[in-house]
Amino acid sequence: MAAVQETIDQVALIDVDQYKYGFETTIEMDKAPKGLSEDIIRFISAKKQEPEWMLEWRLDAYERWLTMQEPDWARVDYPKIDFNDIYFYAAPKSTPGPTSIDDVDPELLKVYEKLGIPLREQEILAGVKTSKIAVDAVFDSVSVVTTFKEELKKAGVIFMSISEAVREHPDLVRKYLGSVVPPTDNYYATLNCAVFTDGSFVYIPKGVRCPMELSTYFRINEKGTGQFERTLIIAEEGAYVSYLEGCTAPQRDENQLHAAVVELVALDDAEIKYSTVQNWYPGDKNGKGGIYNFVTKRGDCRGNRSKISWTQVETGSAITWKYPSCILRGDDSRGEFYSIAVSNGYQQIDSGTKMIHLGKNTSSRIVSKGIAAGFSQNTYRGQVSTHRKASNARNFTQCDSLLIGDKCGAHTVPYIEAKNSTAQFEHEATTSKISEDQLFYCLQRGIPTEAAIALIVNGFVKEVIQELPMEFAVEAQKLIGISLEGSVG
Amino acid sequence: MNIQTAIKMTAAETALVDAYTAQIGDLIGDGAVLSARDTLVDDLKKQGLPTRRVEAWHYTDLRALLRTVPVADPTAFAERVEPLVAGSSVMTVLNGKADDKTAPVGVNVRRYAESLADGVAAPDLIERGSDDAIGRINGSFVRDGFEIELPEGTELEVPLELQLVQSLGQSHTRFPVTFGAGTKATIIERHLSVSDEASLVTSVTDLILDEGADITWIILQQQGAADSHLAQINFDLGTNAQLKLFVINAGGKLVRQEIHGVVTGEGADFKLRGINLLGGETHTDVTFTLGHDVPNTTSTEVIRNVLFDRAKGVFQGQIRVAPDAQKTDAKMACNTLLLSDDADFSAKPELEIFADDVQCGHGATVIDINPTHLYYLQARGIPENKARAMLVNAFVDEIVEELENEALIETLETIIADWLEKHA
Repeated sequence: MAAVQETIDQVALIDVDQYKYGFETTIEMDKAPKGLSEDIIRFISAKKQEPEWMLEWRLDAYERWLTMQEPDWARVDYPKIDFNDIYFYAAPKSTPGPTSIDDVDPELLKVYEKLGIPLREQEILAGVKTSKIAVDAVFDSVSVVTTFKEELKKAGVIFMSISEAVREHPDLVRKYLGSVVPPTDNYYATLNCAVFTDGSFVYIPKGVRCPMELSTYFRINEKGTGQFERTLIIAEEGAYVSYLEGCTAPQRDENQLHAAVVELVALDDAEIKYSTVQNWYPGDKNGKGGIYNFVTKRGDCRGNRSKISWTQVETGSAITWKYPSCILRGDDSRGEFYSIAVSNGYQQIDSGTKMIHLGKNTSSRIVSKGIAAGFSQNTYRGQVSTHRKASNARNFTQCDSLLIGDKCGAHTVPYIEAKNSTAQFEHEATTSKISEDQLFYCLQRGIPTEAAIALIVNGFVKEVIQELPMEFAVEAQKLIGISLEGSVG
Repeated sequence: MNIQTAIKMTAAETALVDAYTAQIGDLIGDGAVLSARDTLVDDLKKQGLPTRRVEAWHYTDLRALLRTVPVADPTAFAERVEPLVAGSSVMTVLNGKADDKTAPVGVNVRRYAESLADGVAAPDLIERGSDDAIGRINGSFVRDGFEIELPEGTELEVPLELQLVQSLGQSHTRFPVTFGAGTKATIIERHLSVSDEASLVTSVTDLILDEGADITWIILQQQGAADSHLAQINFDLGTNAQLKLFVINAGGKLVRQEIHGVVTGEGADFKLRGINLLGGETHTDVTFTLGHDVPNTTSTEVIRNVLFDRAKGVFQGQIRVAPDAQKTDAKMACNTLLLSDDADFSAKPELEIFADDVQCGHGATVIDINPTHLYYLQARGIPENKARAMLVNAFVDEIVEELENEALIETLETIIADWLEKHA
């Protein structure tokens, strides 16, 4: 029997056009003309009141970008992007920086309300009074409001938009920006260097454990604007930070481009935990529209005994091209990657990670769970490599795929490169449908099909969900629910 | 994708193109065969040898690795050697020249040179795709080989050994083989070198297994330390056909063994067992693709690699399951013992699944010898060297033991033990 026809029907029924967050706000926007040129970059830089070196940096990147070719190796298929038909800068038109939440445009607050962003403390999960989340909400391209700044300041933590950081902490930004993902890295990263409009900057000083989870909600709003976020997180010696990133976007017919760059730097004994829940508009049931999510995320375990952990729940976007990676440069450093990628409708996901072992006694762990339904294509692409001098490198990789329906595809493309005899690499991948035995077991005990499938899928991804901070785990489960509603309920 | 723009030809590329011009006069075949060869050489000129930018050659940059091409020497002499298993039927290809006089009774054999001469071979001389460098080089230069047909119901009592002995120069051969319905046979494709001089050997084998054929095909590659060996085996499995393919690499400087299969008949089963014994300066690449095109088929692949010295090893394995190929059961494992800090191994096991009711998996490991195993043996008074050798032996012998022919198992185990003794 092919994967329970009922399940397939249900998944087909709910599919992606029930996208819950498909609304549009009508806030006035301030934007640069469409297309990309030196002038646009100068415009962006001027708008941001950036110093000269930043403009130079952008222009260098732009020049380089013009000579580069769009990568075509990923298993994704989309019409060519016309970079001259994109707005590279759009900012909500508002009076200069609101000072308190009451000053924020009520339209904007309504958007947040629909999204359920817990801007105010009391809105944070009931019963978790001790937990605090600082939100640096990004509405299109400019940070509108930043909360908890004061408390973070007390701890010495810097958490602000990157544009602000360029102005207020130019030395720090200059030292670390582009040190993990250089401006020459790849087509989309280079594009981002030239035109990035906003993003977050986090600096955790030596020995500080960030007192709260830091969180940013991204929101693509204006028609046809690309979002080019730049996030830079630095954890000094012995510091710890957990950073959450979540995204939703309104329903659109045109495809929208999102090319973000995230750079993490962990020095000696530092730990960075980066969690993402991505729920952008995946396109309608015919595969029309949706976000193109071409992201470069990389963490550098620069110090000894440092640790970087990526956790992602990918349920949205028409196309995802994303490989959060760890460079394990410090001795005894550790990288982790936990991923759930759910694709439905005509979504295409090509995602995975890279673990580059350079230091001695480094270890990494990869757990990837892909769930493909509808007509979607879901690819895991990962690389694990050791340098010749990286003795005692250790990796464990597990990537499992679950297929719901016979029109979708699940693919696994790992690259394993060992150059040291003390390396110990283990890689395991499986692809299957929901086990009929498990389903039968549940049904036989009176659990309805839908609940049983939910149970099994939840069990399938549990390993990753557990890695998410509590606040996010709830949202993640909700999002997986929405993506596969009807079968996962 | 992967198109390389105007290139400056390397020494090896120039040598290949020049060799074609030099040999054109005495290459067999005219008309269609010649025009097919011209097309292939043209492609070679245009695209050059593949670099790591071509995904299928990601870990074997042929353009950088193939430095020189030895000049073909028609006068080179090579002699047949004793078969692996006493009493086998032996058909030889000495320095690229096939001899069909010893074909076993009941098997239809024709020299490939004849097929080239009368143009029958022309349709074969094409590329599998733009990244098929082996097909391109082999098709340009192929001179001989065997066309073999086992008529329906034929069962060979003793193994048939195809013995390819090389002394120096070049050899380019093809082996189209058809196994009729219900046939049963063990075929040994043996490549060996009898001198220290460099050779370039290319070989393309195409197997077709009809309904219920049950075939064991063994490739034993023992080229010399200076040789380049570019080989390809393609197969197509019909209904309920069974193919057990053993590939043992224990020689050569630059080795690429491609295995491309499709399973087109329900109930068919494919097994790949590979042993790569890599030492010295060798670069050995085993690249495998398998398409499960119909429902209810199975495959398992187990590859064991042992690396010493400055050896480089590559395994690329791709299993594709077509949209309607439900109930496919495919499993692939690639285990590597990396025994030198100067050696390196890269693996790329891929799954490409378009059907939902399947069981597919792959595993890949890279490790050193397990210290607890070593300790166990040493605690029982076995010296470290010997204990290590025992463990490495056990790691690869497991594969050989899956063969049915006892005499063959014994011979292969001896070859493996001798090789390990020489390199450990």
